[in-house]
Amino acid sequence: MWFFRSPSIIYGEESVTYLNDIPQRRIVIVTDGNIVKAGLVDIVRKELPEDSDVLVIDTVPVEPTISYVLSIKNKISGFSPDLIVGLGGGSCMDSAKAAFATYERPDMDMHDITPLVHLDLRKKSRLILIPTTSGTGSECSWASVISDDDHGRKNEFASPEIIADFAILDPAMVSSLPESVRKSTAIDALTHAIEARSSTWKNPYSDIFADKAVELIASNLFEALDNSKNTEAVANVHIGASMAGLAFSNSQITLAHSLGHSLGAHFNIPHGISVGIFLPHVIRFNYSEAKKEYAEINRKFPSSIRKRYLYLTVESFLEVLKMPVTISDLKISKKEYDEKMESMVSLALESTGTVLNPRDAGRPELEKLLKEIE
Amino acid sequence: MYKFPSEEWANAYFEQLNGNADYKDSARDWEGDITLVISADDTMKDNAYLYLDLYHGTCRKYIYTTDSSSIPKSEFTYSGKYGNWKKLINGEIDPIKGILTGKFKLKGSMSKIMRYTKAAKLMVNTASRVPSVF
Repeated sequence: MWFFRSPSIIYGEESVTYLNDIPQRRIVIVTDGNIVKAGLVDIVRKELPEDSDVLVIDTVPVEPTISYVLSIKNKISGFSPDLIVGLGGGSCMDSAKAAFATYERPDMDMHDITPLVHLDLRKKSRLILIPTTSGTGSECSWASVISDDDHGRKNEFASPEIIADFAILDPAMVSSLPESVRKSTAIDALTHAIEARSSTWKNPYSDIFADKAVELIASNLFEALDNSKNTEAVANVHIGASMAGLAFSNSQITLAHSLGHSLGAHFNIPHGISVGIFLPHVIRFNYSEAKKEYAEINRKFPSSIRKRYLYLTVESFLEVLKMPVTISDLKISKKEYDEKMESMVSLALESTGTVLNPRDAGRPELEKLLKEIE
Repeated sequence: MYKFPSEEWANAYFEQLNGNADYKDSARDWEGDITLVISADDTMKDNAYLYLDLYHGTCRKYIYTTDSSSIPKSEFTYSGKYGNWKKLINGEIDPIKGILTGKFKLKGSMSKIMRYTKAAKLMVNTASRVPSVF
C-alpha cells in the first residue's frame, strides 16, 4: 500500500483569476517585501473576492526560522482567516505551510510536523500556494524547510497534511525573475526530479512526473532564460518545476539534498546552488545502484545537451548555465570548509535524504562527497 | 535459526545490533531506550516486548518479556502486529513506510527521532539480519 498526494492544480495564463470565485472571505497572504515591490501581491489582491478582508504579512525572511513562524502565529490567529495564501518562492510557501499548521494547531510543537503524527488540520482554514519562482516545487510538496533560530539546521518538516489545497501556477508570476534566480531555481527543480527518480521510495507516479519534469525544464530553460517574454517556454519550466515537486514529494529526495541542506546551513548558500553543486557527484556515487533509472532520465534531456551518462549531462548542463562547481566558486575558504566538515557530515547524516538514497552512505561516504567539491 | 519472538531471538538481535558498525556510527550520539512491541494477532496469542537500552551506538541491555509490567517505561515504542513484524523481518515492509501506512506505530518525541532516521531504520532493519523462523 502506498499513496499519491497532490494539491488541485490550476495552471496556465491567467490562472490566478481562479481566486475570483473562491468561497473564503478572511484571507491572510504570507509573502515577502520583494514580492510586494514586484507588484505581485497587488495582482493577487485584485483577483480576490471584492468583499474579502485581507491581511498581508510581508516579512518572510530569506531563511525562515522557527521563531519567525511563531512570531506571525498570533497575528494570524487574531485575524481568524479561513484561507492562508503563500505567495512567493520556497521561503514564503514553506512559511505559509508552517503558519497554516500552527494556526490550525496552536498547541502543537512544530517538530511534530512529521509524517508520523496525525495533525488533524483544516478545521479553520484552507491553504493556497502561488509560486513566484520555478524551482522549489513547494506548492506541490508536503515539506516545509524551516531553519533553527541559529540557522545551524534546516528542519525538513513534512506531513501530507500540510500539502496545499490548491496550487496556482500562473506564468505571469515568474515572468520578471532575475536570470540568476531562474537558473538556481531550475537546478533545484532538476535535482528534485532526478532524486525522485532514484530514491528508494520511487514509484510509478513519481517516475512519470520526474521524467516529464526533466523533459519540460531541460527543453525550455535556455529559451526561457534568453527570452522571458516567451510565455510558452516560461510556463513549461514553471509546470516542469511543479511536476518535479510532485515527483519528490511522492518519492523523496536523496543525497544531493542532504548535502546541499548541510552546506546551505553552514555557509548560507542559496538552496538551488547548494543542492545543484552536489548533483553530478551524487549521481556518480549512486550509479551502480540506480543505473537504469539514471539512463531513463538521461534520455529525457534534449539530444543537443545529452551525454552518454547522466552525470556527464548534468555536469555539462551546469557548465552551460555557469553554475558554481567548487567551494572556491562559492567564495568559501578551504580552511573554514574543512573546519566545518564534521558538523556538515553529521547534519547530512540526519537528513531523510540520506536514508532514502539508493546507495547506502555513512560518514566516510558523506565526507568524501563533501570533499569532492573542494 | 531463532524462533521469533523469543528470548533466543532477542539475544541474537542484541548481538547483531552491537555488531552493526553502520548502526554504531549513525547512533553515536543517541541516548534513549525503546521498546519493540510485537502485538498479538490471529497467529500469535500474547503480546511480546523487547526493551532496548540504547546509548551512543551500543545496546547496553535488553529485556524480552510477554509481561509489559516487567520492563521499564521507555522513551519510544515501535509497535506492530506479529504478522507485520514477520513481513518486516523478511524485508517485505520498509520500517518507515510501515508507520506511514499504519502497519506500525511509533510513539515518543518526533523531534528527536527525526534527527536519527538513519539510526532508527538501521536498528529496525537489523531484525532482518537475525536468522528467524516463525
